[in-house]
Amino acid sequence: MTFEIENVSKTFISKGRGETIKALEDINLTIETGKFVCFVGPSGCGKTTLLRLMEGFELPDEGTIKDDGELVTKPSRERGFIFQDYSLFPWLNVLDNVTFGLNIAGRPEEENKERAYKYLDAVGLRDFATKYPHELSGGMKQRVAIIRSIINESKSLLMDEPFSALDVQTKHKLEEQLVNNWRQNDRTVIFVTHDVEEAVFLSDEIVVFSRRPGRIKKVFKNELPRPRNRGDHVFQDFVNEVTEEIDESEDD
Amino acid sequence: MTDIRLYNKLEKLIFPIILIIIWYIICDVLMLIPSYMFPGPVEVVNSFIKLLVTGKLFKDIIDTLYKVLLGLFLAAVVGITFGIILGWSKRLERLCTLIISILRPIPPIAWIPFSILWFGIGTAPAVFIIFMGCVFPILVSTIDGVHRTRGVLIEAAQSFGASNMQMLTEVVLPATVPYIVSGLKVGIGIALMCTISGEMIGSSSGIGYMILTSTSLFDTGSTVVGMLVIGIIGIIFDYIFTKIQERIFW
Repeated sequence: MTFEIENVSKTFISKGRGETIKALEDINLTIETGKFVCFVGPSGCGKTTLLRLMEGFELPDEGTIKDDGELVTKPSRERGFIFQDYSLFPWLNVLDNVTFGLNIAGRPEEENKERAYKYLDAVGLRDFATKYPHELSGGMKQRVAIIRSIINESKSLLMDEPFSALDVQTKHKLEEQLVNNWRQNDRTVIFVTHDVEEAVFLSDEIVVFSRRPGRIKKVFKNELPRPRNRGDHVFQDFVNEVTEEIDESEDD
Repeated sequence: MTDIRLYNKLEKLIFPIILIIIWYIICDVLMLIPSYMFPGPVEVVNSFIKLLVTGKLFKDIIDTLYKVLLGLFLAAVVGITFGIILGWSKRLERLCTLIISILRPIPPIAWIPFSILWFGIGTAPAVFIIFMGCVFPILVSTIDGVHRTRGVLIEAAQSFGASNMQMLTEVVLPATVPYIVSGLKVGIGIALMCTISGEMIGSSSGIGYMILTSTSLFDTGSTVVGMLVIGIIGIIFDYIFTKIQERIFW
């Protein structure tokens, strides 16, 4: 078991008017090691909040989150985090961005570089090693951001709508690369998205959140055989089923 | 294309040249103003040549630049270090904010009496005044830069397990560099002003000293040379810092 989330609630106080916003209410969820789990739901349903709590960027008001039996109290290198917007260090080139985590962990720099090149090769970015983030396209930046995290071989990877800003073709390509990489490891992946098709393509499990206050409405097991084809009837049927579940919560 | 560019560059010179011609006519042709009140361009050029040949001008420029750069360097070391620390620690910033806001508006020149009292006459009091003048703009803009470091970069580094020290040196400091450079740019302008004032009172060398002493000897030509030299040094520094700013792309 990787994550055990018990009775978690989280309330924010909005800066402007001092209103309190209940982002999450009584969340209970267990995520097994090696699973690819997607969080979906309407915007403002707290799916990103839960992901941030799981990393330890923020702490729950009530309840506990455990990672491999240990209480999550702060961010850890055992939990890679990939952000929605570009989080590359703009003053470092691609290579130095990718080796950042390994370098600050005190690993030998020469080995880190070699490893970085292997990863860059795999996604066709070797020639861009000395480029800076502002010289890259959106898709390249997000690829670098993902490599920068998975190179650390953390036990789990938390991804917050990492492909939402990309065009469909790039998105599909990166989704495939992500799945392939995940299948070669036994890493747990938690992936937040508002794109149901993306969730169905990627996941073993789909957790549907309801609108504010965020609660878990339903957990779907996704047993479609891999590799998956977006054109299949069963694929589309499943997408529809999950979408209906989300739409219902929109109406509440 | 190049013609237009050349024209644009030359256009800047039109007014200064007209001004020099008017100045020449008033002072050297019509002789409306006696030279002990204000020199004509001919006398300024003569003084310039004289100062150049004797090597005095070069010596004074080096002397002044040395003070400016030393003062600025010390202010940068202190301003950047404390700026990063205070910007990062909300608690320390709260503790220091009143002291900074009281000291900051004091004109550096107000420190002249103490600088002479503590350091006597020479390079040290001038450096002290420059330091007092530059340290606050550098400090304040460094603090501002730390505050503006994007949260997502800090969180990314946390998820890689960065220690507090690594966070400051590997993330916060580089993210703050653009703000530090603009602090330095403001600082160097102030430094130049402080140096001249400092040299006029607490010093026996440098451009400021030259300006003051040559006037009292009715050598107004040298005074104007000194003033122009300061202006030109200012332009050069500004140009250098603008180039540096252009190279920082984040």
